[in-house]
Amino acid sequence: MRTLRRLPGSGKAALAIVLLLWIVAAFSPAVSRAASDIRLENRLLPPSSSHPFGTDDLGRDLLARVVAATPISLAIGLTAAAVSLLLGFTIGGISGYFGGATDLLLSRFVEVVLCFPVLFLLLALAAFLPPSPAAVILAIGLTTWPGDARYARAEILRAKSLDYTRAAKAAGASTARILVRHLLPNVFAPLLVSAAFGVAWAILAEAALSFLGVGLPAPASSWGGILSAAPAYIEEAWWIALFPGLALFLTVSAYNLLAEGLRRATTERSGYR
Amino acid sequence: MIRYIARRLLLAVPTLAGIVVIVFLLLHLAPGSPVTAAGGESGRRISGRAAEEMRRLYGLDRPLPERFGKWILRVVRLDLGESFVDRRRVSDRILEALPYTLTLNGLALLLTLLIAIPLGVEAGGRPESAFDRISGAALFALYSTPSFWAALLLQTLFSVKLRWLPLYGVASDPEPSGLAGFADRISHLALPVVCLTYGSLAFYARMVRAGVAEARNADYVLAARARGLSRREALWKHAFRNALLPLVTLLGLVLPGLLSGSVIIERIFAWPGLGRLYFDSILSRDYPVVLALSLVGAVATLAVTLAADVAYAVADPRVRDGTAE
Repeated sequence: MRTLRRLPGSGKAALAIVLLLWIVAAFSPAVSRAASDIRLENRLLPPSSSHPFGTDDLGRDLLARVVAATPISLAIGLTAAAVSLLLGFTIGGISGYFGGATDLLLSRFVEVVLCFPVLFLLLALAAFLPPSPAAVILAIGLTTWPGDARYARAEILRAKSLDYTRAAKAAGASTARILVRHLLPNVFAPLLVSAAFGVAWAILAEAALSFLGVGLPAPASSWGGILSAAPAYIEEAWWIALFPGLALFLTVSAYNLLAEGLRRATTERSGYR
Repeated sequence: MIRYIARRLLLAVPTLAGIVVIVFLLLHLAPGSPVTAAGGESGRRISGRAAEEMRRLYGLDRPLPERFGKWILRVVRLDLGESFVDRRRVSDRILEALPYTLTLNGLALLLTLLIAIPLGVEAGGRPESAFDRISGAALFALYSTPSFWAALLLQTLFSVKLRWLPLYGVASDPEPSGLAGFADRISHLALPVVCLTYGSLAFYARMVRAGVAEARNADYVLAARARGLSRREALWKHAFRNALLPLVTLLGLVLPGLLSGSVIIERIFAWPGLGRLYFDSILSRDYPVVLALSLVGAVATLAVTLAADVAYAVADPRVRDGTAE
């Protein structure tokens, strides 16, 4: 709570946008019928008062489709980021806390995965696993954790060298007690920052996969899925490219801005830059 | 010096081994065996003889460790196998696509550095100034813009509405000649290069800014100012030069990023480079090409990182003596 109050103005605005998006997502079932209502006589209509975002190649209302896609994009972003964080903070945490040979081995592993172009691995996993939302989440989580692991390792190393952690160790506290009582509260703030950046990236990654046609299987459609129809109609229907992308851009910038705000708020409190 | 390089090379050996293992596992993660996938999923029938040949080629009838050993031996001899799609050598297909990707990514990288460095030095020279804030906000917005969306919007504006630039492709005339042919090539490159540039621009400019902002108040910069150098000279000749070194090591990380970006951009702009080759191979389950490209991409990244680290050590004695931080 105190962290939220310390957010800079831009971070508070970003938080408001994120909350608004989740509210839109909560009410999106109201438009699910309109989003799947195929009317070929209405196909590729430009934006008008009855269809503010225009219609797609099957005559569906684009605004309804963009709204209906909100919970899908948000939920996949959140869960994929959670998978990545869990993996990354566990591996990075172990690496940083135990050090020595464990650290050397795990750090090498992180380095190996980081050598691969992310989208190469992402595409291979998404295309080779049987298509499902779980496959998309797993593919994103399994390819983005090394960044979180590096971050977590550095944070644990920093927290480990703090005086009270060393004092606790000198006083004979057990490993579990040091981890839970001293290290966890210290990496909570970085975890929050990492999570917000992670959600932004995961939403982007899901959109890229769906845009390329290896994301969510039909009939579920995320913003990236709606966008995948845009190249075919680029000559006649610019609105199919503009509006779903705008929703994507708004969401990704809001999460990124929130992450940046959280980073400032938490680093100022703990007294280092 | 030599000891440092030797140690760094030695550390790269397990990384290289890890890369090879991951690539090998990637193949065996695929549903079914590569043989059935190659025939079934892409709708092509594989004759019994061809399937047998493929099974032998991959040694799929042998136990896993033996398969792994054989695969390693072939990779070491730089034999990447044959494509399932057209039976041509994988290395030929990669070499064919490579120049296209190098042109695209080389230009994008050049453009990124040409814009990011002056921007970062100016912003870092005066942190929290109006210029710093405005450029920071603009870069932040660019950073949050999905490249495929930007590509679609630019195509709509410049190709469909204004008709200034071609929608996609490499050239309108397959046999371009003279100045007109050159201009045609450039006009085809413009949009994909811009789309690949703007994302990494934000990343680089921020790094340069952070480095310069930190070096700005260092004693040697103040001393340079005291000797009568202008603010600009002190920033560029002293602060930036010192901020430059850490940037060199970051260059190694650029490669995987550019290759990732290439997959999406080359697909949208129908650019016959490595990214599109990889994507097409994934869709057609052309496993030998997928594996070869993953391996080449990762090993190239490792090599560039290694070269950057060595260059860093040559330039900065504190690194090789282990006295830095």
